[in-house]
Amino acid sequence: MDTLFTLATLAAAIRLAVPVAMAALGEVIAERSGVLNLGLEGTMLFGALAGYLGTTATGTPWLGLGSGLLAGTACGVVLALLMVVARADQIVTGLAFTLFAISATTYLFELSYTIGEPPPRIPSIDMLELVVIVIVVLAAVWFLLARTSVGLVLSAAGDAPGAVDALGYRVTNVRGAATVAGNALAGLAGAMLVCGPLGLFVQNVTAGRGWVALALVVFARWRPGRAVAGALLFGLCDALQLRLQGTATAIPYEIFLALPYLVTLVALMVRAKRSATPAALAVPFVRGRS
Amino acid sequence: MAVTDREAGVRGPDRLVGRLLGGRDGRSRAARVAVPVLAVLGALVVGGVLMALEGVAPLSAYGEVVSGVLGRTRGLADTAVVATPLILLALGITVAYRARVFTIGAEGQYVTGALAGTALATVGPLSGLPGPLLVIVALLAAVLAGAALAALTGWLQDRFGASVVITSLLLNYVAAAALAWAVRVGIRDPGSFTPQSRAVGAAGLPTLPGTGLHLGFLFALIAVPVLAVVLRRTRFGLRVEVLGANPDVLAVNEARPAAVRLAVLIVAGSLAGFAGFVEVAGVTDRLTPAFATGYGFTAIIVALLGRLRPLGVLVAALLLAGLSVGFDEAERAFIIPSSTVGVIQALIVVFFVAGEALSRRKGR
Repeated sequence: MDTLFTLATLAAAIRLAVPVAMAALGEVIAERSGVLNLGLEGTMLFGALAGYLGTTATGTPWLGLGSGLLAGTACGVVLALLMVVARADQIVTGLAFTLFAISATTYLFELSYTIGEPPPRIPSIDMLELVVIVIVVLAAVWFLLARTSVGLVLSAAGDAPGAVDALGYRVTNVRGAATVAGNALAGLAGAMLVCGPLGLFVQNVTAGRGWVALALVVFARWRPGRAVAGALLFGLCDALQLRLQGTATAIPYEIFLALPYLVTLVALMVRAKRSATPAALAVPFVRGRS
Repeated sequence: MAVTDREAGVRGPDRLVGRLLGGRDGRSRAARVAVPVLAVLGALVVGGVLMALEGVAPLSAYGEVVSGVLGRTRGLADTAVVATPLILLALGITVAYRARVFTIGAEGQYVTGALAGTALATVGPLSGLPGPLLVIVALLAAVLAGAALAALTGWLQDRFGASVVITSLLLNYVAAAALAWAVRVGIRDPGSFTPQSRAVGAAGLPTLPGTGLHLGFLFALIAVPVLAVVLRRTRFGLRVEVLGANPDVLAVNEARPAAVRLAVLIVAGSLAGFAGFVEVAGVTDRLTPAFATGYGFTAIIVALLGRLRPLGVLVAALLLAGLSVGFDEAERAFIIPSSTVGVIQALIVVFFVAGEALSRRKGR
């Protein structure tokens, strides 16, 4: 097995971990404020498409990243209006949004190129720069949550929204802002996926990475650093899978297709304590009811 | 994650899931019907605008959709055939979501059921059984396989506190990998150049005389009233409602919430597995890598749109199936991207969710 852990495999692991890490960081923000955003996968898809279209339109992948961030923000506004302002069921809304995103991105992508010609590839951003972005965002999210009063209010909105309300903060505004911010990062994550080494968009390009990010947030007990570490673990499995697919082994390669998801499942089993869960996660806040 | 427990515990019994997602919630019957109807109309209008932007006259396209379903002898039968797996899958989702057990694993359980049934019917010692017996045994295997996969997610939540939402979704990818392996190696038809299973042959479902429908549609039709009675008139049905409303109440009344959750998941998984082999035996005849077409996800839309009621599920499934079949026809006459119907279906559920939240907010 020692030949598996080559430098190339490790580089691939980091490459595959980057979008998942970014999405997980976004979800940490949303969930800490009490919003369970199952629309994460959908927002990533919209971000990925925006990143692709933004890059094909401008020729600059950095503007593609910006488009992804904007698309994510827009998704965040829609989801915040539904989940936080209108207090629709968060689980049902998130699911519905992701289902919508799968169809809508496919549709918009089909419109974006002429049938018969292959969709154009886009120039890619260097891996190192994307890693730097992840590290910067990780530091910012950690600082926000652990070292600022904004972060305290945000976490309190997820643990004791009644207390936050009594202190004179608007729970709806706090949660709405966290939802928008979290989805903005998820949109950026999608754009990083296509504007990175991949360099193209395909139908359902995220392939469940948003769901993996959701699982990682639980695994990480809502801590940003651990979420990124979890993403690296996922990236490593994914990289091994790609590496082993290319080599002739007696093991069927489909096992490695399933491996990243199986490892995520096992990671969920390792986490035994429940105490870190934000107490009011997925519970809509109605003043005077809690 | 244990979201469901805590959430329901806070909400209290005055917000039964039946009221949450379509029961007596203080709104008039007209209001309860209006939201889904308006959601469908709104989605059709947006779909029309999209088609108009592409230079297709929406009314003539929709005319083609309608005549594609009602204007052909095959149209209605095709609709019923497409609706069959949707009905079975959505009924399972209905039971689960009523209990606020939000599984997204129907797709994986559907694939696993199809895989188990096909494996049993095409290879191995039992594949020589006479036709009707083989169908029954294969369906049984499909039910068990789907139920086992669903039960696994229930166990993971009970034992490790891992949310069913996430584990069921992750297992979909595992099931997809299993399907890919099975048709490439495991139960591959050795005489075929491309990866696919043998035809199920004698285990195929008979066609209902004079209709062009396979027997599976009848199963789905029977399942609707059966499930309605189970939910409304049995102890299990009551427990499903109470689990959805407040698991603590359930615990006081001598039933362990985890056990009821497991039972709910097993019912959902059984129906999904059943649907999987019904689709093989009634429609595709063999398994290919392209077998999983996302019915398990569309069925979530069907269940929500049907307001988590069996009869509503039937109506919603026929509606969405009709849209698919109709658009297939319309695409022959007009240049419409094949994903248009998916957008319209997804818009229906988005509008429905938003409308539900808004109308309940006003009613407060």
